[in-house]
Amino acid sequence: MTGQKWKELLIHTIRLYTLLVTLITVLMMLLGNLLDRGRVFSYDAFVSPLVYALIGTVATVITRSDKELSAWSLIIRKAVSLMLIEGAVILIALNADTIPTEKSWVIPGLALGVFVVFVLTHIILYLIDKKEAEKLNADLFRYQEKQMNEQAAERQAGK
Amino acid sequence: MKLETRKIPESEPEMVEIRYHWITDEIQEIISFVKSRQGQLSATRDGKRFEVPVVDLFYAESVDDRLFLYTASDSYEIRMKLYELEDLLKHKSFLRVSKSMIVNLMKITSVRPALNGRFSAILKNGEEIIISRKYVPALKQILKGGES
Repeated sequence: MTGQKWKELLIHTIRLYTLLVTLITVLMMLLGNLLDRGRVFSYDAFVSPLVYALIGTVATVITRSDKELSAWSLIIRKAVSLMLIEGAVILIALNADTIPTEKSWVIPGLALGVFVVFVLTHIILYLIDKKEAEKLNADLFRYQEKQMNEQAAERQAGK
Repeated sequence: MKLETRKIPESEPEMVEIRYHWITDEIQEIISFVKSRQGQLSATRDGKRFEVPVVDLFYAESVDDRLFLYTASDSYEIRMKLYELEDLLKHKSFLRVSKSMIVNLMKITSVRPALNGRFSAILKNGEEIIISRKYVPALKQILKGGES
């Protein structure tokens, strides 16, 4: 892997991790307020979004490919990535004393929450790429104009 | 093959003369190189030879070790490696956008995000090609006026 690719992977990973921490924190706050309002946590609870985001990031990075994937291969890869995250989060929840998995709604709620975060992450990353594409288009327009002006000047000089 | 170069006065036009017995692959390669420097590429279509102006080229793609040139509506085969063509056209607004493709930046209408962090470029003839994320930094650099 070249230096440029490592740099790109690092930027992608940090961006994904930060986004996941934010979304998971918001989701935990919303779900907690809606479904389990009376629960009191220790300071350790602040670590859980970081851990869940790490799981999400690792699952996404290991299923990432530099090959030119077809749309189907990409969807399959994303589905595998989602299943890995769902599996890991539920496994942690089942072993954690602070998550009341004995209540019937907790596991489906967690699974749904993970899915919502997964979809939101992809939407936000797409919007970031869209913004980048807009910038590329503006630069491309300027580049083409400059090249055409230079070619016109060369033709003029050649006359 | 004997190589001869001669300095001439500025009043005389510069020229390349190739003296041959038969047009061999080697001779054809030299002719193609000289023509490409003059803005034309020697390529074939249906067994016939064509001179394709570089400015008309939309993109070039390598498929199964063969290199194809695409204009707005035609395609041609050229006897060259992709990296050789890339090197030849790098100062003519061409840029590598994937493992198997170089594109003429002057023929791109717009860029939009594709799946998985890649971008796709819509060309002036309506075709859409994928820009791998690996090549996006080089694209940004060249559009900002730097060399890729």
